[in-house]
Amino acid sequence: MTSGATAPTPAERLRVRFTVNDRPVEHEIEARRSLADFLRDDLALTGTHVGCEHGVCGACTVLVDGRSARSCLLLAVQLDGARVTTIEGLTPAAGLSPLQEAFRTCHAMQCGFCTPGMIVASTELLATTPAPDEAAIRDALAGNLCMCTGYVNIVRAVAQAAARRADAPVRP
Amino acid sequence: MSEGGAGWVGAPLPLKEDARLVAGRGRFLDDLGRAHLLHAAMLRSPHAHARIVRVNASAAAAMPGVLAVLTGAEAAARSGPIRPLIPTTASVPDHCLAADRVRYVGEPVAAVAATDRATAEDALERIRVEYEPLPAVVDPEAAMRADAPLLYPALGTNVVWHDALTYGDVDGALARADGVLRERFAIQRYASTPLETFGAIAEYDAGTDAYEFWTNDQRPGLTISILAASLGVPQSRVRLHCPDIGGAFGNKRRPAYLLICALLSRAAGRPVKWVEDRIENLTALMHACNGVMEVELAYRADGTLLALSVRDVADEGKNLLTPTQHNLIKLGNIANGYRIPAVRYEAWSVLTNKCPSGANRGIGKPFMCFAIERAMTLLARRLGVDPAELRLRNYVTADQMPYTTPPGAEYDSGDYPATLRKALERFDYAGWRAEQARARAAGRLLGIGIATSVEPAGTNLASYELVTGRRAASGSAEAAMVRVEPDGQVRVSLGDPSSGQGYETVVAQIVADELGVTPTEVTVARGFDSSTTPWLYLSGNYSNKFSVTDVGAVVGAAARVRAKLLRIAAHRLEIDVADLELRDGAAVVRGAPDRRLALAELARTAYADVLGLPPGEDPGLEVHHIHQNPLARPVDADRRVRSQLVFANAAHCCLVEIDPRTGQIALRKYVVVHDCGRELNPLIVEGMVHGSTVHGIGAALLEEFRYDEAGQLLTSTFMDYLKPTAADVPTIEVDRLEHPSPVTPLGAKGVGEGGSIPGPAAVANAVEDALAHLGVVVRSLPITPEQVWRWLRAGSG
Repeated sequence: MTSGATAPTPAERLRVRFTVNDRPVEHEIEARRSLADFLRDDLALTGTHVGCEHGVCGACTVLVDGRSARSCLLLAVQLDGARVTTIEGLTPAAGLSPLQEAFRTCHAMQCGFCTPGMIVASTELLATTPAPDEAAIRDALAGNLCMCTGYVNIVRAVAQAAARRADAPVRP
Repeated sequence: MSEGGAGWVGAPLPLKEDARLVAGRGRFLDDLGRAHLLHAAMLRSPHAHARIVRVNASAAAAMPGVLAVLTGAEAAARSGPIRPLIPTTASVPDHCLAADRVRYVGEPVAAVAATDRATAEDALERIRVEYEPLPAVVDPEAAMRADAPLLYPALGTNVVWHDALTYGDVDGALARADGVLRERFAIQRYASTPLETFGAIAEYDAGTDAYEFWTNDQRPGLTISILAASLGVPQSRVRLHCPDIGGAFGNKRRPAYLLICALLSRAAGRPVKWVEDRIENLTALMHACNGVMEVELAYRADGTLLALSVRDVADEGKNLLTPTQHNLIKLGNIANGYRIPAVRYEAWSVLTNKCPSGANRGIGKPFMCFAIERAMTLLARRLGVDPAELRLRNYVTADQMPYTTPPGAEYDSGDYPATLRKALERFDYAGWRAEQARARAAGRLLGIGIATSVEPAGTNLASYELVTGRRAASGSAEAAMVRVEPDGQVRVSLGDPSSGQGYETVVAQIVADELGVTPTEVTVARGFDSSTTPWLYLSGNYSNKFSVTDVGAVVGAAARVRAKLLRIAAHRLEIDVADLELRDGAAVVRGAPDRRLALAELARTAYADVLGLPPGEDPGLEVHHIHQNPLARPVDADRRVRSQLVFANAAHCCLVEIDPRTGQIALRKYVVVHDCGRELNPLIVEGMVHGSTVHGIGAALLEEFRYDEAGQLLTSTFMDYLKPTAADVPTIEVDRLEHPSPVTPLGAKGVGEGGSIPGPAAVANAVEDALAHLGVVVRSLPITPEQVWRWLRAGSG
């Protein structure tokens, strides 16, 4: 079915090409399928978590062309031509990134469900603001809910990672 | 702890599980699949109260991709009612789907299993349900009236429990007192809303007539018994797994949904997954009870407390499974940390047309603490005494421990006055009082709030006898398995599945000390599997019980493995057991460290070279151990009971600033000093204190499930049910005292509920303190900027 100038129906499949964690992806995807569902169910990238499906909790945060985005609010077919980075793409093949290591050292999580989204949001912050103060960290993470930690250790971890200047910035 | 312990217990060891969680490598329920998996969706009631006239699901069943549809009538025909945990007089059957009547907005009435979730949701739109709306009752006190609409006409009332329990001469104290403070408080509905929602996969195996579940249910022992009974199969044919659980806080237990998935799986012949969406979670999973409490506090002129009388109405919503739970836990903690010679507690547990209430971090204690700590603060104001001083005059003191409260709770240890003093010092109480006065003169509104609490751990289910008149379950216990594998490495499993408490690390620390190995050599199983994990009906992740039952099970199992390792080593080395110790991964001869047998070598004897075992010694190095907390007792003749078992305590001190133009409340500083006995891993403990305190702040300032008069929930998304964000809260400053519990194996106490108990009271006390010059009294939560703005307008007018 071709859509031409008219909007696709929800169940209509569209062919899109983009990259996920630097790997090319070419799929026919239902127009209504969210990026989060596509990443998790079709690509088995289950590190991106779905906590609210209405764009508030931030658990599903990924980077789209280097900027944080809610994968639950994006349709996968909107990503044609984009570059998507998930928590899997931010994790080295062996060991952890300096930011992840700071999260581990500071015990910046409990259940760990929000953690991938927190790492992604913190990655964006440190790429744009290499030395954020506490207020800047809290502001940058205000779109990511954590029900366990009270945010104290998360803020500490991001500050620690920034202080060590060890976190590689996101590639442009 | 064993003599060979290398001191892993007590170390702030970074967590094993954090290494996978930080990389997105946790394995949560929705990450799991099964071959030929179907996906379920629930059709839910749009009415708070209505009769179901008819349900027609034929169009949904005919849709391509739909494999099974289940209506309430079918569910009732194919499964038994859900057995309540607390069987009150409300002994009406409660099935997994509503069949004849819906009683809250969001109650499931039908379910669909389809090849994908979107198709299942599409199919819900084809199910036609004809409702006959009925008058709804939303307010619990209205629900108590004789002319109220009834949720269950067969019961003749919405009140499932009403009783008055009196301990000591309350009336005499009220009559003789120099004064009586009388106040009425209310608390809203709220919940801890774990970031991972509830869900399950159910798979029916027709070949063996058995059911297998994967779920983030936090209380598997109880849930297995309910599932088996409702499905009509022996428990031996129900297997339940828990993967990583993304937070639970009491909310993750709703066997109805597991039953729905099981019935759909049976009908479709394929496994069925259901994962709650957030609106379903907020609308229909579990809320803490809202309620009202009337408090009478009798005192002498010097502020000494003489008696406490409480009338407590708990709004259960449509909760037939655990009604009265909030009431009973309030009773167990009614005296907080104070010496109050006489106590009366009159309670009502009331059904309304709202989401079922249930366990939520602290169950009842946040409201109990709010009421008593608000009353203490108001009494201090009335007497012209500093609120800290009034508390110090009334605390149970360290030399009075163990102390038994009038209703029978036993406080085992601790120093409540020292805890508050340390908090005041850490907060710089005197300094901020002076600053507050200066700021007030400059037109700024600063307020200081103090609240202190006891924090119990472990539930003695015998307390339910106060309600039901008979004992079905009692005590508090947990099971663990410790096994030295044939290669000398150690494996542990526990009947309590972690939902963020770091068990894989802290249990490894405990076992490492017992067996003389490092935590790296100890692998603690993730989650739960009823086929491989030792467990009891009482097993689960609830009631703050890790420190008071689970630790005992782990220590007990490890100690028995340790003893066996030493016996085997003594036999092989032809030496007395007393001359051996376990350390550095081996049994070592004291004073002759070169004479040693590594655990792997001892394991070879135990599993392979079994003729080398001491005479009469069984092969293998695997021990199952169950620890029963020794404090639990039945209800006594005077209706006293230790409903909870080991008591930690905390003092909170916080500073708020109120914007006089907008009513905005900013938390400027927050100090917690707590005492949970021996801290097994301070990194985990401190994290719990941070998180639980922010739960308390959320309840104080932001969170509320608001219903309109028709019973429609107005706050069903995170856009309007507001959670604290990183920008809303300050750094929680934590300090500690450590009075080990004399009744737990390692001296630890509970810490999981922590700040959720005194947090709401501390923040409320601070807001009131900032506005006290306007005559403001905080009587309910949450305290919104709009409310503050109205107070400011009224005060300045």
